[in-house]
Amino acid sequence: MSAKKLGSVMVVGGGIAGMQTALDLADSGYYVYLVEKKAGIGGVMAQLDKTFPTNDCAM
Amino acid sequence: MADTYEPVIIGFLCNWCAYAGGDLAGVSRLQYPTNMRAIRVMCSGMVHPNLIVDALRKGADGVIVMG
Amino acid sequence: MTLSEVVGVEGAQGDFTVKVKQHPRYIDMDKCIACGLCAEKCPKKVGNEYNEGLDKRKAAYILYGQAVPLKYAIDAENCIYFQKGKCRACEKYCPTGAVNFNQKENIIDVKVGSVILAPGFKPFDPTVFDTYDYANIPDVVTSLEYERLLSASGPCMGHLVRPSDHTEPKRIAWLQCVGSRGINKCDNGFCSSVCCMYAIKQAIVTKEHTTGDVEQTVYYMDIRSHGKDFEKYYVDAEKKGINFVRARPHSFAPGPDGKGVKTRWVDEQGVEHNDEYDMVVLSIGLEAPADATALAETADIRLDKYRFAECDSFAPVSTSRDGIYVAGCFQSPKDIPQSVTEASSAAACAAITLAESRGSLTKEKTYPPEKNVSADAPRIGVFVCSCGINIAGVVKVDEVVEYAKTLPGVVFVENNLFTCSSDTQVLIAEKIKEHALNRIVVAACTPRTHEPLFKDTLREAGINEYLIEMANIRNQNSWVHGGEPEKATAKAKDQVRSAVAKAGLLAPLEYLSVNVVQKALVVGGGLSGMTAALGIADMGYETVLLEKSNILGGNALRLNKTWKGEEIKPKVEAMVRRVESHPKIKVLKNAALKTAVGSVGNFVSEIEVGGETLAVNYGVGVVATGGAEYKPTEYLYGHDDRVKTHLEFDAFLDVSPHAAKAAQNVVFIQCVGSREPGRPYCSRVCCTHSVESAIELKKLNPEMNVFIFNRDIRTYGLREDLYTEARRLGVIFVRYEVEKKPKVIKDGDALYVVGDDHILNTTLKIKADYLVLASAIVPNQTKELVELYKCSVGADGFLTEAHPKLKPVDMSVDGLFLAGLCHYPKPVDEAVAQAQAAVSRAGVILAKSVMPLDSIKSMVTNKCDGCALCVDTCPYKAISLTVYVENGREHKRIATDKALCKGCGICMATCPKQGVDVGGFTMNQLKAQVESILLGV
Repeated sequence: MSAKKLGSVMVVGGGIAGMQTALDLADSGYYVYLVEKKAGIGGVMAQLDKTFPTNDCAM
Repeated sequence: MADTYEPVIIGFLCNWCAYAGGDLAGVSRLQYPTNMRAIRVMCSGMVHPNLIVDALRKGADGVIVMG
Repeated sequence: MTLSEVVGVEGAQGDFTVKVKQHPRYIDMDKCIACGLCAEKCPKKVGNEYNEGLDKRKAAYILYGQAVPLKYAIDAENCIYFQKGKCRACEKYCPTGAVNFNQKENIIDVKVGSVILAPGFKPFDPTVFDTYDYANIPDVVTSLEYERLLSASGPCMGHLVRPSDHTEPKRIAWLQCVGSRGINKCDNGFCSSVCCMYAIKQAIVTKEHTTGDVEQTVYYMDIRSHGKDFEKYYVDAEKKGINFVRARPHSFAPGPDGKGVKTRWVDEQGVEHNDEYDMVVLSIGLEAPADATALAETADIRLDKYRFAECDSFAPVSTSRDGIYVAGCFQSPKDIPQSVTEASSAAACAAITLAESRGSLTKEKTYPPEKNVSADAPRIGVFVCSCGINIAGVVKVDEVVEYAKTLPGVVFVENNLFTCSSDTQVLIAEKIKEHALNRIVVAACTPRTHEPLFKDTLREAGINEYLIEMANIRNQNSWVHGGEPEKATAKAKDQVRSAVAKAGLLAPLEYLSVNVVQKALVVGGGLSGMTAALGIADMGYETVLLEKSNILGGNALRLNKTWKGEEIKPKVEAMVRRVESHPKIKVLKNAALKTAVGSVGNFVSEIEVGGETLAVNYGVGVVATGGAEYKPTEYLYGHDDRVKTHLEFDAFLDVSPHAAKAAQNVVFIQCVGSREPGRPYCSRVCCTHSVESAIELKKLNPEMNVFIFNRDIRTYGLREDLYTEARRLGVIFVRYEVEKKPKVIKDGDALYVVGDDHILNTTLKIKADYLVLASAIVPNQTKELVELYKCSVGADGFLTEAHPKLKPVDMSVDGLFLAGLCHYPKPVDEAVAQAQAAVSRAGVILAKSVMPLDSIKSMVTNKCDGCALCVDTCPYKAISLTVYVENGREHKRIATDKALCKGCGICMATCPKQGVDVGGFTMNQLKAQVESILLGV
């Protein structure tokens, strides 16, 4: 008999993709470990000034 | 008189945009005069005309609705 | 886990052990209050990577002002103590003793069921191109540096200046494809997909960051605006006067005194130009992350030749190792919406894999029973935050505290160094109990980020979480009035008085929730719809799949191969079999959606199937109604059998390859029905499709002449390899302008395509054996659906997502998601990814049997007389008119649907008699705030 699977997930990378993945999984009932190399999350998107087509602030 | 005139402005700020903008101005340390007093609302659409009239009647020098 | 990296992945799907190396931060995260003193006192300055090295940070630092976690770190490589053995200034000044130089690197084992890799990308380093001399010309910058120069949080506070002399540039050029689409000096044969759009964006927003006139020129090879609403953005940029020049400057030199940039380039007629610019921006590409190879070895997954993770079109986020998924640019270069889509898609894959263990490691928070204080007179507690020196450095916090004590209803006031710290939460809860506080005012930062925390504290203390009001004396006071402490203090007092006035009128609000029907409805049985249905069913939820025709599979049944060369039909047929035999999926063919009522968590629809009507109750819906190939009216289509659309030509190639092989000349015309008035969008897939078909023809018969008439070739991402391959095989690409389309004429029995060749400057007349029209993708009719769900649809007929960047699969109506061609034209892999993303988003709702709703909703008061003015103004159709009988007389009154109401209060502003209020923002509360503020006048 196989052991029960673990209800946890590791997400490597704290940019926009990693954060969205982590949020979706945490909101769906999984324990998430978010691993980021730098001292804070946010990734490159946090460096962008604005995003098109709405020219919204990227923050 | 002109030098010391400090108008009181009531600002109704939408939580999702103008109020957020106010917060961002803070984060960015943009400096502006202290005259506005902000009231947070969930949408600029909830500001009843009576509130604006009320503010002006009770002594506000200006009302700004931002959303 | 920050400052951490994965160094080992053992085990298998469902039971991995991941070794994580944690680098020391040298700051105790629990003690750090982010006051910033360590950075202030740190004597060592280093290049600030957040601003691309354009300014300095200290060796004790945070990445940026809004960093999460907002905790400082010490960079040992630059720290004077670590390098030279003494200093420790930060340790001396830290008020909480958080600095700890003894922290050591450690490796921990983490047990997880699945691993998702989203390490991002590496911005291309352009120093290898010596002719651009990026290293030596100060005013040649990369696009990422330019992004920081524009940013309000950047080194020049959002006022653009060039690096050489800090003056405002007036002539700026962008050079596209630096480190992309080239194998000279770098081996990046791929297209980075995003640079055309970010360059256009930068050119447009440059105007907002400069004064007076500015001239922007973009040098490009092909403009690739293939995403949703991108083409419109590009056309608008042209209208705004941004110059687009199809050329590639070959070398740059510094301008006079080392300022500005001299460029040399040759136009299509072979004429050489010398232009001077104040600044040149290199639109650098997106490479695989620097540690891609190491990460792949650690995780034991396969990479492609460009070191991106290898994935199948039908499993676009699954790596070569079961249980390990990938998202974002590590899979291939892509934009934000596609990254976010894939992120959800990877989450769905992990969730499906671990479906049986969902909820096993998470726990629900519980709260003590709530004391009913609604009838009690206000006993207001005020907590004034110093925020380290953030507030107290400007606002005289002591004065504010003393002032608050004098306000009516206030029975307790306290000042905290950090009101948000976790020990203060315990303290606030204690004070609430000790002093029987029943309304709380926190004078600190913004409620937008911190109110949830304090609400939670109130619940912990046993009172309703809506009994709090915040006074924003940091973001909207001390931070913006730094030089005026007197006035700032006066304002802070006004803010506190106004908050106290409102707090006195606050009433507990009922916690709202909806019971979630744990069942999904998927509309549309094509590739996207089937993927969504399978995913939701595999998560363990019942799914109803509605298909209007009598067959599942949609357009995918008519496609031959993906751009990666995978056969499509066998995969789709296998998928159809799985859908039809899945115990959790109920397939309804020849079915039509007739009604839709309810809202997120609880929708009810009537579905007509074969003359009978069936009611379905569901918690979430996925719309995947698909699209179709545009039937051209141009280029003799329909008048000559040799003129075919892509799908028709695919079928022809499939059935009669011999006939195709015998052809001498085959001509493709791109953008048939796309990128022109009436259908201004780019159909995204047609360039790749034509190039792919052209390659197949060349492989069938290398002697055949294959021509592709195009406006720009948009083989984005790794598809660029196909374009390179096609040119290598001798496919001839001829460009045309939209004003001068090629002509198709029939002379006797012969079919001719006539067009201008820009390069040779002559007219081409080609006798075509077959003419393939790359015709547009048009969305299927969704008018009824849009009316039923009141969801939104764009000008082009594609359904609209909730946010173009951050919510690319959520619809404007909560609980509905979209996938596939109904959203925008897209290839197989992207359709599958979006459908999987919809699965994840749907799963977030279905995972809860009860879903909490925000309690800030409109509430009918007894002053309502049923005039119904608000019914029409409500943007969410949440208000209806009801009739009730009292004392034998009929009365009218409105009723609000709490699930649909978003608390915007337009009803409240419309109502002439205060017949409707918004909880937490009632007319009386707002009036009290106004009056209280004006007391000071």
